[in-house]
Amino acid sequence: MNCLKIVSVCLLFIFVSSFLGSKDGLFNIPQNWPKPIYNFSKNPLTKEKIELGRALFYDPILSQNNTISCSGCHSQFTAFTHVDHALSHGINDRIGTRNAPVLINLAWNKRFMWDGAINHLDVQALAPISHSDEMGSNISEVVTKLQHSKIYPPLFFKAFGDSLITGENTLKCISQFMLTLVSANSKYDSVKRNESSFTKQEENGYKIFNKNCTSCHIEPLFTNQKFENNGLPLDLELKDFGRMKVTQNPNDSLKFKVPTLRNIEFSYPYMHDGRFKNLNSVLDHYGRGIVKSKTLALQLEQPIVLSANEKVDLISFLLTLSDKKFLFNPEFGYPKNLLLSLPKD
Amino acid sequence: MRFRFAVFIIAFGINVKLLSAQNFSTISVNFKPMFGHSVLQLNDSIYLLNSRDSIQFTTLKFYISGIAFWNNSTTVWIESNSFHLLDATDSNTLKLAFKVPADMIYSEIKFKLGIDSLTNVSGAMGGDLDPTKGMYWTWQGGYVNFKLEGKSNLCQSRKHEFQFHLGGYAHPYNILQSISLLTSNRQNVNIELDLKTFISNVDLANKPSVMSPNKEALILSNQLGKLFIVK
Ligand code: HEC
Ligand code: HEC
Repeated sequence: MNCLKIVSVCLLFIFVSSFLGSKDGLFNIPQNWPKPIYNFSKNPLTKEKIELGRALFYDPILSQNNTISCSGCHSQFTAFTHVDHALSHGINDRIGTRNAPVLINLAWNKRFMWDGAINHLDVQALAPISHSDEMGSNISEVVTKLQHSKIYPPLFFKAFGDSLITGENTLKCISQFMLTLVSANSKYDSVKRNESSFTKQEENGYKIFNKNCTSCHIEPLFTNQKFENNGLPLDLELKDFGRMKVTQNPNDSLKFKVPTLRNIEFSYPYMHDGRFKNLNSVLDHYGRGIVKSKTLALQLEQPIVLSANEKVDLISFLLTLSDKKFLFNPEFGYPKNLLLSLPKD
Repeated sequence: MRFRFAVFIIAFGINVKLLSAQNFSTISVNFKPMFGHSVLQLNDSIYLLNSRDSIQFTTLKFYISGIAFWNNSTTVWIESNSFHLLDATDSNTLKLAFKVPADMIYSEIKFKLGIDSLTNVSGAMGGDLDPTKGMYWTWQGGYVNFKLEGKSNLCQSRKHEFQFHLGGYAHPYNILQSISLLTSNRQNVNIELDLKTFISNVDLANKPSVMSPNKEALILSNQLGKLFIVK
């Protein structure tokens, strides 16, 4: 009987830890958050793999002419979005067609990219690596370069027990690093944990938020992961119809993934094409910029009209979603110890 | 002590049984891309489509997956982790070999042309599914099931090139093809795929390229699925 108990406890432990992704605190689900979408049992986190993924994320070796890394468009201090650029620019200064999203809490993402074109975090990196406006390379070229570099074969050996580099292992390591980018330490979070409290203004902003915004930007991730048309007028130059490009379904025209609002203070400019420079313009849009169309979200058929004071309050609430600990966490930064000791070859 | 002895005897017995079951034989399945009656050659060979038009092929790669042997409508053997990338530039990849129980009798081979939808949404994979094999779409999720490229004077595209990258795993463009081929019980099976019939049904002049999951990809895949025959 005792034996049975021990076995079942062990099984439970294995079961639970396969969801948590690791047994040693490499990935923790914040209190009261849902279960992650990412299946960690197919890519169990280890310290070595996360470190290797971090090196890859910061290393321009992933681009065709070794000039641009993932971090070039996703920098830590802006919650891993592109600093102050509406449309990301990549290799040879080519301008892309979309604004880089923040890279946080990706383990909870169902789909990736503004239109959800990518179905799994592991294969996400293939898009920027191959895109002629971004890194202009391809994964087999990258693997060959890594295999011939001085630092990577030993790092892969440490992580996988094999210095033969494959596309699968390369991509899974990049995922591992990105999965660790959990942002859950904002003022809002500490209020939820009863460790601090909102000011009156923030409290009022929270109420306004709950009334008008939460159907799409739902807590605790501040996105419902759905694709919605929030009434932005079509940019006639970019002609980006969003989700429809992927599904070829006219009902998806002008729908984009509802983005998280965590760290919104730092992730300007806003929207899929970075059309708004600040939160005031975003609120102006919801107040008087919404364009009616067949696919417009029902919730937005009536504009969200707010007084000047209400706007200030709402913005003060949105600023409580900033997580400075995350933005300055040295574990997510440039891996000096690995990359600066790089023998150039 | 006696108990242990009994365990030993039983274990021994099972072992003997297992050993005797471990009699295997190999079935080879050879895929032969054809152009009409001749084996398809890439690059240098120029083929005639009719008296006026010609065609050349530069790439032919496709996935065969989920291979199973059946006998009179029951499964007799299923390959586990069954994903094979066949590449016409490497004849070794066209010859598949399966180690099956020596006493296995079969009357039918079943397989899929392409990659199933679950695998398509399961992230990065290794082996023949590794994205370095060039069969994973990059700007969107999913594998290319079948890739055929080349040129023909019929194509009004740049350099008269055509490219068919057929893929798609999600409704309404799940283009995976299930193929069942009756055959006699034998050690060596040749399966031909006639690309002349395939390409003759394609509108090379107006649609020389299909590169995303869509209606064309679905139609072309349905046609391809019917062109595998046992020889
Ligand atoms: C040239 C700028 C650029 C580079 C370099 C770049 N990205 Fe991005 N990234 C973007 C843009 C723009 C998007 C949004 C694209 C879209 O929606 O179509 C994006 C989207 C993403 C997403 C999806 C996030 C979400 O919530 O949907 C992830 C993950 C990501 N990038 C990771 C990476 C990784 C890993 C690398 C390096 C291999 C990288 N990026 C390199 C600009 C870039
Ligand atoms: C019907 C769903 C819906 C509602 C309700 C909604 N939003 Fe949004 N929100 C979206 C979508 C979809 C986008 C992305 C649109 C795009 O880029 O095309 C977005 C984008 C944003 C952005 C830009 C985020 C970024 O990273 O670029 C902010 C800020 C924002 N919303 C705030 C709010 C606020 C504040 C409210 C309430 C007043 C609100 N939203 C109500 C769906 C909604």
